[in-house]
Amino acid sequence: MKEVFRPRTFSELWQLRRQHENAALYAGGTDLLVQMRAAKINPQTLICLERLAEIGRIEEFNDEIAIGAGVSQHHLLENPTILKYFPVLCQALQALGSPHIRNMATIGGNIMTASPAGDTLPPLYILQAELELRSQKTQRRLPLADFINGPGQTGISPGEILSRIFIPKEPVFAGHYFEKIGLRQALSIAVVSIAALYNISTERKITAIRLAWGSLGPTIVTLPEVETFLIGKTLNPATLNAAATLVEQQVKPISDIRAGADYRRRVAGQLLLRLDQPANYRQTSA
Amino acid sequence: MLIKFNLNGQDVEVETPPARRAVDLLREELNLTGTKEGCGAGECGACTIIVDGTTKLACLLLAAQLEGCRVTTIEGLEHENELTPLQEAFIAGGAIQCGFCTPGMVLTAQALLAKTPLPTEAEIRSAISGNLCRCTGYQKIVESIRLAAHRRAGELQ
Amino acid sequence: MTSTSEIFPIGKAAPRADARAKVTGTEKYAADYYAADQLWAGIKRAGMAHARLLEINLDKARELAGVVAVLTHKDVQGSNRQGVARKDQPVLVDDKIRHAGDAIALVVAENRALLKKALELITFTCEPLPEIFTMAAALAEGAPLLHADHPDGNILLQGRLETGQGAAALKECAIVIESSFALARQEHAYLETECGFAIYQDHKLEIAASTQTPFRDRAEIAEALGLEVENVRVIAPYCGGAFGGKDGITVQTLLGLAALNAPGRAIKMWWEREESFNFGAKRHRAELHYQLGCDRDGTFKALSVEVDFDTGPYDHLGGVVLALGLEHAGGPYRIPHTQIQGRAIYTNNPIGGAFRGFGVPQVAAAMEQMVDMAAVRTGLSPLAIRLKNGVKRGDRNPLGVTLQTSTGLLDCLRQIEQDPLRHEAEKWKAQAPPGKLRGVGIAAVMHGMGYGPTVPDTAHAKLALSREGRFKIYCGVVDMGQGNATTYQQIAGDLLNQDFAHLELILPDTDQTLPSGSSSASRTTYTFGNALIGACEILKKRVCERAADSLMVEDWQEFTLLPGRLRHLPTGREIPLQRLAALLSPDERVVSNRYRAPVNRDQPTANPGLKLHGIPHLIFSYGVHLAAVEIDKLSGNVAVKKYLAVTDCGNLINPQLFEQQMQGGIAQGIGYSLYEDLKVTKGVVQTSNFATYIIPSALDLPEMICKALAQPESSGPFGLKGVGEIAIDAPLPTIANAVSDACGVRCREFPLTAERLLRALKKEEDNAHKI
Ligand SMILES: Cc1cc2nc3c(=O)[nH]c(=O)nc-3n(C[C@H](O)[C@H](O)[C@H](O)COP(=O)(O)OP(=O)(O)OC[C@H]3O[C@@H](n4cnc5c(N)ncnc54)[C@H](O)[C@@H]3O)c2cc1C
Ligand code: FES
Ligand code: FES
Repeated sequence: MKEVFRPRTFSELWQLRRQHENAALYAGGTDLLVQMRAAKINPQTLICLERLAEIGRIEEFNDEIAIGAGVSQHHLLENPTILKYFPVLCQALQALGSPHIRNMATIGGNIMTASPAGDTLPPLYILQAELELRSQKTQRRLPLADFINGPGQTGISPGEILSRIFIPKEPVFAGHYFEKIGLRQALSIAVVSIAALYNISTERKITAIRLAWGSLGPTIVTLPEVETFLIGKTLNPATLNAAATLVEQQVKPISDIRAGADYRRRVAGQLLLRLDQPANYRQTSA
Repeated sequence: MLIKFNLNGQDVEVETPPARRAVDLLREELNLTGTKEGCGAGECGACTIIVDGTTKLACLLLAAQLEGCRVTTIEGLEHENELTPLQEAFIAGGAIQCGFCTPGMVLTAQALLAKTPLPTEAEIRSAISGNLCRCTGYQKIVESIRLAAHRRAGELQ
Repeated sequence: MTSTSEIFPIGKAAPRADARAKVTGTEKYAADYYAADQLWAGIKRAGMAHARLLEINLDKARELAGVVAVLTHKDVQGSNRQGVARKDQPVLVDDKIRHAGDAIALVVAENRALLKKALELITFTCEPLPEIFTMAAALAEGAPLLHADHPDGNILLQGRLETGQGAAALKECAIVIESSFALARQEHAYLETECGFAIYQDHKLEIAASTQTPFRDRAEIAEALGLEVENVRVIAPYCGGAFGGKDGITVQTLLGLAALNAPGRAIKMWWEREESFNFGAKRHRAELHYQLGCDRDGTFKALSVEVDFDTGPYDHLGGVVLALGLEHAGGPYRIPHTQIQGRAIYTNNPIGGAFRGFGVPQVAAAMEQMVDMAAVRTGLSPLAIRLKNGVKRGDRNPLGVTLQTSTGLLDCLRQIEQDPLRHEAEKWKAQAPPGKLRGVGIAAVMHGMGYGPTVPDTAHAKLALSREGRFKIYCGVVDMGQGNATTYQQIAGDLLNQDFAHLELILPDTDQTLPSGSSSASRTTYTFGNALIGACEILKKRVCERAADSLMVEDWQEFTLLPGRLRHLPTGREIPLQRLAALLSPDERVVSNRYRAPVNRDQPTANPGLKLHGIPHLIFSYGVHLAAVEIDKLSGNVAVKKYLAVTDCGNLINPQLFEQQMQGGIAQGIGYSLYEDLKVTKGVVQTSNFATYIIPSALDLPEMICKALAQPESSGPFGLKGVGEIAIDAPLPTIANAVSDACGVRCREFPLTAERLLRALKKEEDNAHKI
């Protein structure tokens, strides 16, 4: 018979992990239990992190915010601090799964799933999030981009858990945009997604921009050349169209059951044109 | 494993394997077949239950996770033969066809109205966007939820 | 007949009989049957598309503790065949595997985990056969035959209907439009997947199943398993959705076989979502080729139609789908010269079967786009060209059959023309924001009702006065969610002047209710309703007569029924029904009445196959739909923003049920238009869950305004016609026409996914650049 443990503290967790080296961890279970049902994995022992208070908090520090890996996506969406500093993350969360999924699923689970279609990943990449990993004896911190290696592949070591996600408050961007193109308006996995942070001058010159795309490759795609191209240019359809062509040239998406590579490539570029819509730009910055 | 939780207002204790899915525990051991299974994978919302005030999917919850929780299933809404205003509205508004999505829809709406007493149409649609219905096209469900909200608001005034 | 009742009025929205139980979670669906010591049954599927089965190795599965039975075709005592028209599907494969879902073995185990394990332990050997995955391959010279005994090779059924000079008349037309279309398979996606519960004891097999056809199931089960019909009982609780997908055997026969091999033990079978998507029947994939010829003024002259349906490896109801497709291929128009031909073709793909609409959504998709293309070429508006050519009563339809019954198409068109929503939509269209394209489209459809000229469309209503003085309505036809049971209650309530408290519904059960045909073909309420009206009249007369006897009154007609009692009008004396019931013997308290629907005596075809499968119908419903869509230029995504449908389905017995049927049908139709595509590669379904097979969520559908002409059909109970299917016929062409109105592009393959549309838009743009 399978066992399920629900540690409340780190020390309980470390002890359980010592006793059950092959135990599988889960938080919301919206990914792990689906995999178990599909018989992709069959762990005999499960450790549920849902009640682990140490990873269930959102903390504000001087220059950064720390989000516990076990915070549910729903709680993040309800949190005024997150909404104030990171609208792009909230936009992504709003598009993730369904209300029930967001009630259960955690941000840590989304990162650890390391899916190219993981909706929090493009925003977290460009927000330059860092991850805190802890084990009984170690604690380390590294950039998210250095942690994710491929679909379902991360740099986590045996015995470690993802404990917190740190996001710097600065620099501040007035433009926050996330959009997911899926096959319907809810419960849809990204065919392509884009996250953007940008600032423009009063003459509508782009002064800073960060971009990331989901579902275009084995991991989140960033295109520094496109960002460099855009810096200093006027934000208008002509500029964005030129950038879109660059994007189309650089990405090598795959075809799968949801969409073909050509479609993904085209839409990845085209989505840049949304940045021209004034509604996506906050006049007063946070 | 012996699991204790509050189910529809009553404290219960059940002996069950801890990795049993909550939906199976409810349906097969506790005889509460109002919680439906439509996909087993989080996609349809037919298994929606309310756990400590938030909606969860009973197909993606393990029995052990219910320990110490307050759980409401569709069977827990009716009190002494009296339906909730939401249930009344679902009947009056024609929100029910085959009815297989209905328990999940009603509980989802119940949780919505608890937080947002007078939701807009867009808020209602987004709240029920994790509950698939193949029969109704959702319109009468949306209207019924709005009806219940307005009736309640009328009473409060 | 008009309504007389105050208490239970016909024509008003009455709450559904089943609503309370469903909203409290107490309604017991087939999926909700459990017993303490119950077993689980499951199917070992072929997993390959075409092969000859050589040997099955069951030893390992049988050795597993907790496995009660492992069965193969050798354990089947009867014909081991099932099917509705042609019995060409084995219960368990005894020779050839013809699609990935074919059942190789059946396992019965103590619990689900063991069942899964046992199924994995079963292996088999087979000799691969050349596979057929396209209709072209099935028809090619020397193609391997799916059924060697079928005289028409890989063509299950074909038909050709001609009027006037047929296709030759196209040559004389000033304008000819020609186009091909391809439509995807659609999945029913009911929330309650296929399931049932069975027990065999005292020589009787009892099965409760999620089914649309308990009586036909009973006959099929008995024959396939070698049982006497009277030893089989099928109970049909409310379905958790069906839409045609439970019209025909799903779990029943296998479950019966399981029960026979574990006597005395209750057994449950419940397909998982993937199993349902992978192996249940689908709406047929169709390929169509149309040519429509008209005069310069837009008068239709000639039509040529070729349509092929991929019916998969078994008949299921593929023949009926073809026949209905042919009958409706020319739409609700006057076209003097037509040639309409089609085939239902066997392949090794998933089974094509019954689905709300039965072939009509496919042909309407093509025809209604042809009509819009003709409108563009002749300079007429989409409304004008339909008003010009649309049928009215007395006209001949494209099969040459005279429309003898109520025909409200033109009124639907006029109502759409005048509807404020249409004017609003035109204004809305002109205000498209940057990056978006907006368009408005319409489509007109008709839908035949009932089984057609050959198969008797009959129903037997049984009605009883219970000892407690309540009227019991024994429903012979299943309520799969469409609310027909409520309508029966409404009809009986109206005629017997009883309230809810004095009416009771007995759901279909082959031991209690009487055979009344399938819950399908938009005939459910019409046929059973008419039978029930007769039963009510007989029983009403009987109770009044007995009341007259007991109060020593001469004329029974001086009595009137009131809820729970009878009143003698001249004197005001009353007698409670309960007391009256005590005076009647149990036999006297029960009546039954048979009704057979009228048929069309016109003979557009001599082909017995087509007649058997339904051509021609006598009564049609009509509808015109309007949609306003917005296209996102960046992604190609289409959003339906406004939707209006006007339907001629006779009088409404219950307006709420009418709206439910319409909205549900339109929603499925919108899914069919934009999202739903059951993708199959080498006979294996690639979209086997809700994450990949996309049905609309609450955020994907607009408000759907559904209006009825409410003109009575004189033969219908209270003047009604069928309304169960017509709603799904029109959304695809309506939306495709709106999309074309928005961007000038017409796709030939459906659904109109964002990807397809963006590709088409890009092509258009590139062509424009070249010029
Ligand atoms: C119906 C449905 C719709 C979905 N839609 C979307 C969508 O739109 N977008 C999207 O991005 N995803 C979607 N998902 C996937 C999934 O919900 C998300 O990836 C979710 O964020 C996972 O979080 P969780 O807490 O439920 O993860 P779990 O299932 O609990 O865990 C996932 C993995 O992460 C590991 N893990 C979890 N927490 C930790 C930790 N703190 N430390 C170390 N390892 C950990 C687990 O061991 C497991 O391997 C969907 C899933 C479902 C069922
Ligand atoms: S059964 Fe749980 S979401 Fe479908
Ligand atoms: S009423 Fe049938 S699924 Fe919603």
